[in-house]
Amino acid sequence: MAQNKVNKSLAYQLISFVLTFMLIIFIVAIFVTRSIYSKVMLDIQLSNMQHLAHERIYLIDGILSKVEALAKIARSVAVDHDLSDTEKEIMLRSLLLDNPEVHSLCTAAKASDGVPPKVMYTIRHRFLQREIQGQDYLYQDWYQIPHNTGKPYWTEPWIDSQGKGEMVISYSMPLYQKGDITGFLRFDIELKYLQELTTNPDHFKLGSSFLVSSTGTLVAHRDLDLVMNQSLFSLAQEYNDPLLSSLGEAMIAGESGYIKIDGKSPFKNSWVYYQNIMSNRWSVGVSIEESVLMEDVNLILLIQTFTSILIFLLVGIAIYARALSVSRPLKKLAKAADRIGAGDFDAEIPLSDKSQEIVTLSLSFSAMQKSLKEYIQNLRITTEEKNQIRGDVIYASEIQTKLVPTNVEHPLEIKELRAYGILKPAGDIGGDLYDYFMIDDDHFCFVIADVLGKGIVAAMAMTMVSTLLLSIAPYYKSSKELLWELNKFLSRNNIESNFVTALLGVIQLSSGRLEYSNCGHLPLYIRKMDRSFVKYGQTHSTALGVFENLEIGSDIIQLNTGDEIILYTDGVTEAMNIEEEFMGLKGLEEIIQGLPMPNPENTAKSILNKVQDFARGSTHKDDITLLVIDYKHPGIT
Amino acid sequence: MRPFRLILVAGIMVLCIVLLSSCKGRSSDRGDGSSDPDISSRDGFVIRYCPKWQPQAQFAGIYMAINKGLYAQYGLDVQVQELMQASDAIDSVSEGSLDVVPLDLLAAIIANSEKTRLVNIGQISQKNTMLLVAKKSKQINSLADFEGKRIGIWRSSSNLITKAFLKEQGISMQFVTIDWSINLFLQGGVDVINAMRYNEYHQMLQAGLKKEELFIADLHELGCRIPDEGLYVKPEFYQEHPKQCKAFMQATKDGWLYAFSHPEETVDVVMDLMHAAKIRANRAHQIWMLNEMKKNVMPSAAEIGILKKEDYQRALNLLKAEMDFPRDIAFEEFYPNGAK
Repeated sequence: MAQNKVNKSLAYQLISFVLTFMLIIFIVAIFVTRSIYSKVMLDIQLSNMQHLAHERIYLIDGILSKVEALAKIARSVAVDHDLSDTEKEIMLRSLLLDNPEVHSLCTAAKASDGVPPKVMYTIRHRFLQREIQGQDYLYQDWYQIPHNTGKPYWTEPWIDSQGKGEMVISYSMPLYQKGDITGFLRFDIELKYLQELTTNPDHFKLGSSFLVSSTGTLVAHRDLDLVMNQSLFSLAQEYNDPLLSSLGEAMIAGESGYIKIDGKSPFKNSWVYYQNIMSNRWSVGVSIEESVLMEDVNLILLIQTFTSILIFLLVGIAIYARALSVSRPLKKLAKAADRIGAGDFDAEIPLSDKSQEIVTLSLSFSAMQKSLKEYIQNLRITTEEKNQIRGDVIYASEIQTKLVPTNVEHPLEIKELRAYGILKPAGDIGGDLYDYFMIDDDHFCFVIADVLGKGIVAAMAMTMVSTLLLSIAPYYKSSKELLWELNKFLSRNNIESNFVTALLGVIQLSSGRLEYSNCGHLPLYIRKMDRSFVKYGQTHSTALGVFENLEIGSDIIQLNTGDEIILYTDGVTEAMNIEEEFMGLKGLEEIIQGLPMPNPENTAKSILNKVQDFARGSTHKDDITLLVIDYKHPGIT
Repeated sequence: MRPFRLILVAGIMVLCIVLLSSCKGRSSDRGDGSSDPDISSRDGFVIRYCPKWQPQAQFAGIYMAINKGLYAQYGLDVQVQELMQASDAIDSVSEGSLDVVPLDLLAAIIANSEKTRLVNIGQISQKNTMLLVAKKSKQINSLADFEGKRIGIWRSSSNLITKAFLKEQGISMQFVTIDWSINLFLQGGVDVINAMRYNEYHQMLQAGLKKEELFIADLHELGCRIPDEGLYVKPEFYQEHPKQCKAFMQATKDGWLYAFSHPEETVDVVMDLMHAAKIRANRAHQIWMLNEMKKNVMPSAAEIGILKKEDYQRALNLLKAEMDFPRDIAFEEFYPNGAK
């Protein structure tokens, strides 16, 4: 994932960041717009619904009020004693003919009078009148309710089977004489007439109107299956929608207001405005589906959404184009950096004027390129110089190697002796020295020395010592004299590295007499034929090159046949193992004790191997020099 | 589904019309009564049945028995007659122009007061479903509050039970005879009204009244355990065609069982019949009615179609106490199945 993030382009990152931000803004804007517009549109539409409901109520209530007024006129006619029955009938007849809203009318005497009620109606402007047969009318609402309540009553819709056989609603009024009910007057309005007034689709472009009776029955509705079959309460039960019950309760209670119905009923997802009709306590409702109500809002939101998408695309393209133009010089810069990294310090750094940051970056790259170029140049010179010095050192090492005698079985063709030397500098060159040469025909001189320090200065000092000894040896046959001369030379020439330990011996070949002087050097070991050894630790002075008037002594040893002289420098005794422990003289003596039969070459190589084994793994390095000489060994031919 | 139901309903209606016109030729359909009808025959044994009221779920067992061909399976050809007043229906049975009539138990016993005119071949209702309902807003919160109030009671013989109950309780009320409408009660013209739990009570709820606004006296719960509807034939018919009477009752019970186990289908059939009869119909009311009828017809699986002797005796005792009842009618005489 992290890798993916790193790999995403600048254009991608800019577009995704900006567009995400814009998306959030657009979504918030759309929601805010919808919320505000919805409220405004809802207020407007609800106001329209209220207006529509008022119109319906005005029309219906006008008719009901008119019928009530006509009934009152008829009542005054009916109870007027000055009028004959014929005159009363004529007046009622003209009332019926003059008012088409009145579908039929009925006069009924008290049941106890035994006079059957009369129904009057018109068919095609022809006046008809008939008597109601049987006693069933006594149990009909139009008769029974005013009879029991003593008040005028607007009936629920009913079928007047003894009149025109249509469904009507009736205004039934008790007639009183001296406080007693003497009969009833009933004015009928055809229900269809009220239904048409209520649901006329010409008046409703968006929603529809419905009429609810005082029992909550849907008396008029555009869905004819509901009319006279369902009440708001039965719909509430059928669709398990308590809101419809609330609507029904409010409507039959004569209240007015708005309600939003959801659920699954025929009123689903609709807003309903309701208000009562004063005359008969019925109620008119106007319902509009919310989707219709919100059509304009949805259109605005659709336009807003399309605009947002367009802006989105345009901004995305603009960012992409700009990001490409910004990243192009960066890519060129990256390519140039790659070339510099590959060693092409003359690669051209592209300069861009697209933005200040990129110009600054290009200039910084140029400065870096210049510095890098100079640095590499200096490095090259330094390396060349170093290589030259190293070459010199290697050459010096070769010279140093040539200064020491080459190992042959009988050095200087001396039959009485065998000698084997090893010079192993820690670096390319060292400060150790061994040498041997004939002073005259009977005197063999050998020396081992260790110059203070390492490297080229110590090597130079060693070279001087070697050369000096060779040049002065013919004049001195004594070890102490030779070393005394050497010390004087070293002290006088004030060489920086003039501190030299040395052990020099002279063997008289004919007698086997060895005179030696040890000037601050390590002890000398002589190994016998029986593989025992003797340590000669006596020193005859301090190291050379410090004090000019140095007194140097010497000792004499009589060599026996097969004696092996073992000489070495501190590289052997100060060899350090991995635990940083020195080998020491004790370690060396253990090696000598374990050596096989005397033979200078074997002895030297065996000691070197053991020392190297001891020091394996250690980082400490010192020059190691060994010189082994044996005298008149019986194996010598 | 709907076209199928419409075809069925249309078929039933056509059948009714055809049979109405063929009632006069009744005697030619009937054999000597000694031979069993061929069960597989399409021209089964004709039984003329008169409904108690307009189509509604109160009679769902009969409708489903017809609709599912259960009568035919028992070799019967049930012909539904026109609606008529209970007294007229009893006369028609006596005259032989009608075979089976549904009646309330009290009405049937009263019809037998002089001599046995009807026998019970099966008791549909097992409970008294009559309620006396009042608005609490009229300060009626107990039976005692009924005293002196106006009560709307039906003008049919169904009002007998209400009157008997009130007399037994020692409550004196003003009776206002009403027809089927509850509007007089809704308008406050009466303080109390008699109502069937499965019908008028629910109509009140569908007119905006709430349960908590009403005080309800459930006659059955108050001890007036006299079941409502049973099926009756004249004794001679029963003696001549006992197997057919039994088959008719069995098919009717099967019809009820089918209705209770298939309520949605049953209400669909009932609604279609109501639409065809052009009467006010709403589904919620019919579902309520079917549920209430289940409690009434089949209070338990063992109690269906049977007239219990104790119920009969209770009804007879009530009538004897209420009115000048001339004779004691034996249970086995009234309900021949009870003798077995």
